[in-house]
Amino acid sequence: MAVDAIPAGRVQLPSQARSQSRRLAVRRFKLTLLLPLIALFLFLLTPVLLLQLYFSVHQWTVYLSSWWDADFVGLDLFQEVLTDPRFGWAVVRSLAFATTSTLGCFVFGFLLAYLMYKPFRGQAVYYIIFILPMLTVPVVVAYTAEMLLYQSGPINDLISRIIGVDFKPAWLTNPHIALATVALLEIWNWTPFSFIILLAGLAAIPKEPIEAAEILGASKWRIFWEVQLPLLRPVILLALVLRFLEAMAEFPKTWALFQGGPGSATETLPVYIFMTTWQYFQISKGAAMSYIVMLMMIVIVLIAIHLLRREKRSLDQMYALRAKDAEG
Amino acid sequence: MARIELVNLNKSFGAVDAVKNLNFVIEEGEFVVFVGPSGCGKTTTLRMIAGFEDPTSGEIRIDGRVVNDLEPRDRNLGMVFQSHALFPHKNVAQNIEFGLRMKKVAAEERVRRVREVAGMVRIGHLLDKMPGQCSGGESQRVALARTLVTNPSTFLLDEPLSSLDAKLRRELRAECDRLHQVLKRTFIFVTHDQEEAMTLADRIVVMRAGEIVQVGSPMEIYSHPVNYFVADFFGSPSMNLVAGEVVRDNGIARFRSPLFDIPLPERLNSATAGKGTLGIRPEHVGINAGGKNNATLPVRLVEPLGKDTLLYFDAGTDRAFVAVSEGLRMADTKIGERLTLSLDQHRMHLFDADGRCIRAS
Amino acid sequence: MATKSRRRLMSSIVRYMILTGWAIIAFFPIYWMVSTSFKPDIQWFAWPPVYFPDPPTLTNYMNVWLGSEQYDTTQYAISSQTPLVSLWNSTVIAFTSTFLAVSFGSVLAYGVSRYRILSEARMFQLLMLRMIPPIVIVAPLSLYYSALGLLDTRIGLIMVYFLTTLPYAVWMTKSFIDEVPREVEQAAEILGASRWRTVFEIVLPLIRSGLVATFLFILILTWSEYLLALIITKTQVSTLPIELSKYQGSTEGRVYGRQAALAVGITIPLMVIGLIIRKHLARGFSFGMVRR
Repeated sequence: MAVDAIPAGRVQLPSQARSQSRRLAVRRFKLTLLLPLIALFLFLLTPVLLLQLYFSVHQWTVYLSSWWDADFVGLDLFQEVLTDPRFGWAVVRSLAFATTSTLGCFVFGFLLAYLMYKPFRGQAVYYIIFILPMLTVPVVVAYTAEMLLYQSGPINDLISRIIGVDFKPAWLTNPHIALATVALLEIWNWTPFSFIILLAGLAAIPKEPIEAAEILGASKWRIFWEVQLPLLRPVILLALVLRFLEAMAEFPKTWALFQGGPGSATETLPVYIFMTTWQYFQISKGAAMSYIVMLMMIVIVLIAIHLLRREKRSLDQMYALRAKDAEG
Repeated sequence: MARIELVNLNKSFGAVDAVKNLNFVIEEGEFVVFVGPSGCGKTTTLRMIAGFEDPTSGEIRIDGRVVNDLEPRDRNLGMVFQSHALFPHKNVAQNIEFGLRMKKVAAEERVRRVREVAGMVRIGHLLDKMPGQCSGGESQRVALARTLVTNPSTFLLDEPLSSLDAKLRRELRAECDRLHQVLKRTFIFVTHDQEEAMTLADRIVVMRAGEIVQVGSPMEIYSHPVNYFVADFFGSPSMNLVAGEVVRDNGIARFRSPLFDIPLPERLNSATAGKGTLGIRPEHVGINAGGKNNATLPVRLVEPLGKDTLLYFDAGTDRAFVAVSEGLRMADTKIGERLTLSLDQHRMHLFDADGRCIRAS
Repeated sequence: MATKSRRRLMSSIVRYMILTGWAIIAFFPIYWMVSTSFKPDIQWFAWPPVYFPDPPTLTNYMNVWLGSEQYDTTQYAISSQTPLVSLWNSTVIAFTSTFLAVSFGSVLAYGVSRYRILSEARMFQLLMLRMIPPIVIVAPLSLYYSALGLLDTRIGLIMVYFLTTLPYAVWMTKSFIDEVPREVEQAAEILGASRWRTVFEIVLPLIRSGLVATFLFILILTWSEYLLALIITKTQVSTLPIELSKYQGSTEGRVYGRQAALAVGITIPLMVIGLIIRKHLARGFSFGMVRR
């Protein structure tokens, strides 16, 4: 670039103006990019959340003609929900369900991923079969499970034949095992999810440090524990967190199979909220409940974000990636 | 220190034969360099010695003992990888002591040896840093230290300098050389860089397409290449290779090409008539120096490098004919100028139609 | 036999055993669903169970997909929908909302990748937004929609799906855009291209396959969504998952065969799509936690 000698004292107005207008153009560009997101939030999400808040502090029943006739009841509804033992049980059930199914998905997913991350004959076929359960729609899983877990159904028949003893638990009608049944279905349905993530994580670990460890005398177990596992932490966290959050929100399988029953054995939080709102028509109580659950989930989510970001940072550091400079 | 024998070694990946019937012995304490273009099988051979690949057939013996069935960790070898392969989540000290921990060496002893080895490769100041914070050269030194500290009988190095820039490459090359002098262990080094091979090796093994082409000291390989490929591969700038014919004229063999007509020296007089290639290294071509075996050619390009000046001549072949002149004496030569070149007859090589070097019978 | 090879063989056998075991567990329910769809009605509940339809029949498929039976339910108003219409609805809704999510999402992702219009924190928050159980907003959503007249419409469902899948679209396309070297855009800029042109003519075409993968990935999500569809659709509109749930509480008793035929119709397209994009599934799920 040729450098033009500029007489001393001359104010460089043209280039200043140029960079000024460039900055404006960039800002306008950025704003336009964000517009759809902002619009969606503004017109869809925010009104809904505000309505939610309104109904959680106003007692409204279906008999009232308009929304605005509802009485203001302050935090009464919240109190009602928090002292409702049924709500407490729903929380317990959701947590139990989410924890066990997440752990189950993780254990099986990890086992499968560990067996599959190095190439071998027939691997592709196994991979295809393993991801199929995730591609079934949850409602379909529910109805198929109904066919399968019928007390005199194929699953019980097969297991009985394999272990030689008559094995006929009432998967669908025994209140003590109903929640476990859903948990097992959840594990079946979503293990592929953990599997895929963990497999990607295992495969992403560079091969050469592992070979270096081998030649330095490390056994398979040592390599796993000291080299692979630490590098898998971000991925493990991701698999656990995402699954847990989704399991807390699980609705189709529980509802389609059990509708909260038998009794209230499978009344998880989503089910209980659904029933309160659409079966008992206690819209306001349902709103308050939703708000409490939402706050609860936000807390969990914030912790999750914090943990995930920390892991991502350490991952970036380890591989010495520098953040790309953003333009503008 | 170990003696390694490769006996009838073969390795195929499906339809591809990566290593074909390799037979070679690496003596104790030698610095052997396997060199060749990509895909020649040198890395595969190294990995078979290490135990990361299983030979399709053949044996690998260390000190007389067949090790085909031994896991890499049981072969008492050390290996340095091209990508340094440090554990990214452990700091430098932890990386270095890893091998010692696997051997259950006590903590105090470990600290002592780590410090000792870090001093040897001059990275004592990096012990607390993470690999992500180290530069390329530093990382490779850490990789060296990590291997050194376990005292293996043999060091395997898989293109360890290929990912470094030129200056670092020279530094670490000297480092490898120095370590070999000090430790007197067997070093098996793989590279595609002929300069590294020339400077580091006690013996060079030239490989191509899975087979050994020539084995010898750097001097032998450079001065007496066994064929066209080896002659062309070694030397920078590369040997001049002129395609032409051998003709017999009154009992004297001559080499003829569009721009050359030169009598061949005594030792090559037994060459049969037919197609052939003349080879002469740029440093053995005299410019305007009188003498026999002349050819007059126009200059195509002048490259003043400082220490030497390279002159490229149009020889009627695709590749330019190169001559070297000391210093910058000829740096002002004009393009198109015709200069008389004389070829040192003691340094001429003749390759037959199959590329093999013709020797005195 | 030498130690190394014997050890390899042993671990190989164990591996195949475990993998095959899980493969059977994974595949059997799907097999059951498909085989039941071909069973004549007497074999639906037979004891001992019938593992292979004998003889296989297409009546279930005919009844469900080509018949015009309406299902009497105790919970939902009788619908004028038939499975074929639901299929059409599902297709339209899924494709439209996915198209919206991917187009807007990829442009947004470009802004995040190159101009940092959303910080990393915000990106994670966006993702986590998706993770809040949808159940908590379905009640006010349906009230809001009824006020706007969007209840029981395709548009209404499309907009919600657009909102809920946008985070995934942004994350996935961003990972593809990150891999396009900046020099390419800078070259375009020097040659005189405007910012918008660079996005649409240079960057997006370069990640074409990534866009397709993202599209199919999100299509799976919108196609199989249940809860929001349940709430928002009533009589005019129905999607396939809802169609299936109409069997619940059906007074005809358990029509397993027909249920299975419907289920197969819902699931097969997804499986085909999923298998097509299986190499990209990891990218859709990794959210930056896997080194590329």
